[in-house]
Amino acid sequence: MSTRSMRLSCSSSMHSIRSKANNMEFKTRVKNQSDMEVWEMSEAYNDYIGFISAMNKSVCAIPLNKPLSLSNESKLILNILNSIDNWITEVEPLKESCRFGNKAFSTFYNLLKTRLPDILSKELSLVDQQNVIELTTYIIDSFGNPTRIDYGTGHELSFCMFLCGLFKVNMLKQSDSKATVNILFSRYLEIVRKLQLRYQMEPAGSHGAWSLDDYQFVPFIWGSAQLIENPDLNPNLFVDEKCVQLFKSKYMFLGCIDFIMQVKKGLFHEHSNQLWNISGVPSWNKINEGLIKMYKKEVLGKFPIIQHVPFGNLFQFKQCAKKIMVPTPSTIITPTSTLLDKLKKTELSESNIVNK
Amino acid sequence: MPEWENWFEIAKQCKYLPENDLKKLCQIVCDLLIEEANIQPVSTPVTVCGDIHGQFYDLEELFRNGGQVPDTNYVFMGDFVDRGYYSLESLTRLLTLKAKWPHRITLLRGNHESRQITQVYGFYDECMNKYGNANVWKECCKVFDLLSIAALIDEEVFCVHGGLSPDISTLDQIRIIERNQEIPYKGAFCDLVWSDPEDIEKWTVSPRGAGWLFGPEVTEEFMEKNQLELICRAHQLVNEGYKYMFNDKLVTIWSAPNYCYRCGNIASIMEFSTVHDRKPILFNAVPDDQRVIPDKAATPYFL
Repeated sequence: MSTRSMRLSCSSSMHSIRSKANNMEFKTRVKNQSDMEVWEMSEAYNDYIGFISAMNKSVCAIPLNKPLSLSNESKLILNILNSIDNWITEVEPLKESCRFGNKAFSTFYNLLKTRLPDILSKELSLVDQQNVIELTTYIIDSFGNPTRIDYGTGHELSFCMFLCGLFKVNMLKQSDSKATVNILFSRYLEIVRKLQLRYQMEPAGSHGAWSLDDYQFVPFIWGSAQLIENPDLNPNLFVDEKCVQLFKSKYMFLGCIDFIMQVKKGLFHEHSNQLWNISGVPSWNKINEGLIKMYKKEVLGKFPIIQHVPFGNLFQFKQCAKKIMVPTPSTIITPTSTLLDKLKKTELSESNIVNK
Repeated sequence: MPEWENWFEIAKQCKYLPENDLKKLCQIVCDLLIEEANIQPVSTPVTVCGDIHGQFYDLEELFRNGGQVPDTNYVFMGDFVDRGYYSLESLTRLLTLKAKWPHRITLLRGNHESRQITQVYGFYDECMNKYGNANVWKECCKVFDLLSIAALIDEEVFCVHGGLSPDISTLDQIRIIERNQEIPYKGAFCDLVWSDPEDIEKWTVSPRGAGWLFGPEVTEEFMEKNQLELICRAHQLVNEGYKYMFNDKLVTIWSAPNYCYRCGNIASIMEFSTVHDRKPILFNAVPDDQRVIPDKAATPYFL
């Protein structure tokens, strides 16, 4: 059955553009297994994991239904996502049964490729054009692969790099953190789920029953953060269908389980054995820490995923100068960039929320 | 009584063997496979099966429908492991059958019987999870390296996991491939386990990133040159269980019902009484209430 390519290279056409500003060529850098060590020591890695951790902290004990005020910039990004959602309705799936997913997805992907560059360069007119090009590439690569018609954690990674990049160019600010997860990322999830169903997208590089999930990873991390210190919802309840129905709109994690229950047929322990095991972990805090450890190893540590990621000015592949320690799960890594320093300050100011 | 008699009973119960026993079983099967040809000759009556993908309960359903070994002679066209939860148990089951009745079951190599692919699609993780180390996975990969590439039923039905290769025009060219190795990322051997038939003129690059798409014309040519009646292959999900193409010259057989716990498809095997007298047997996934729920296991990340 269709299996993710070992040798097809990254889809986007804009990966090899040289930045005039600082001469950082924007291209894929991880060419073989030994480059993975360079990646794990890079500024890009440090910034990215810092972003994941900072967002994670920002939504600790913050459910999806908690009202948040949206900055104009967040609204603007939300509008772009809404437009993308509308474009899906423009492209009907083909009627014939397709083996590698529905080929209409490539038509949808072409809409992304033709429309997003103009929209982003207009909306982000104050941002350095090289950075806009990089952001555009990341968002285009967020929705799946048009050749294989598949979607996986590599595409999700691309979207998170897009979001992180928006912080880096100062489009999103520290005060936008909660909305970034609970509104923007949440909206993104709705869109990719719609795409997965509508165009029957294959799970890209899924470890089958041994994956956390066929398609996503990050919403399980941030979703478990939302449940930290939650006295009403013990982890062993998240595999219970009634409980899932009750809380799927309130907590991202339960929304993920609901989606699995919609698309999978058969016994939960068999098709989603990792989650089944996780439901036996005693606290959400432990789950959250474990998922971050697992994400580093199973997604960020995998060559087949990272080989497709382009690096340039926003995410620099050079070795991280300030990195002094090997990342450990319970440590929030000190990010090098000023943006992430700012985010860190937010974490401190919001740490009291967690204890409520 | 040889020790595999006991292993045989264990494997039937959806259980896996202690590490050392599985290693011994792998060695026994390797010694058998090394004697087999790249294209293993098989005679009718025989039943041909497609992908299994670690769906142990459905593999048992396959045997209930097609008959037990040794009453029925089988050809399995690869992809025993990956994706499903019970790859290890399914492979163990097939290996014990091979050890006990080597002439009643022929196991071919699929694109998933490879080190590279099993590390991405689940079998490696499964071995790590169930044994806590990669030793068993390594031993299984040695078995994979020795699996035959194809089977030839009554000299006329060519069975292979994927399909044809632009580098192969005669069966003899397959017979001289050095098969005892990891599946290469390109070339004849790779193509045979990766290619797919498609209604195109001749050859097109495959969207899978390995192998080719091949059309009716090159299929016709290959069959005429090698005096074949039919090509049986697996490798692609078919919702109806099997599908004839190219003027009934080629059939795809799919034996994993409800593939990936998601597709809801029916599965099939093809029973050949003679080359021309054949009938598909369809079967569904085993219902939930006939499967056993294992205990929750502690995963190292969450300790």
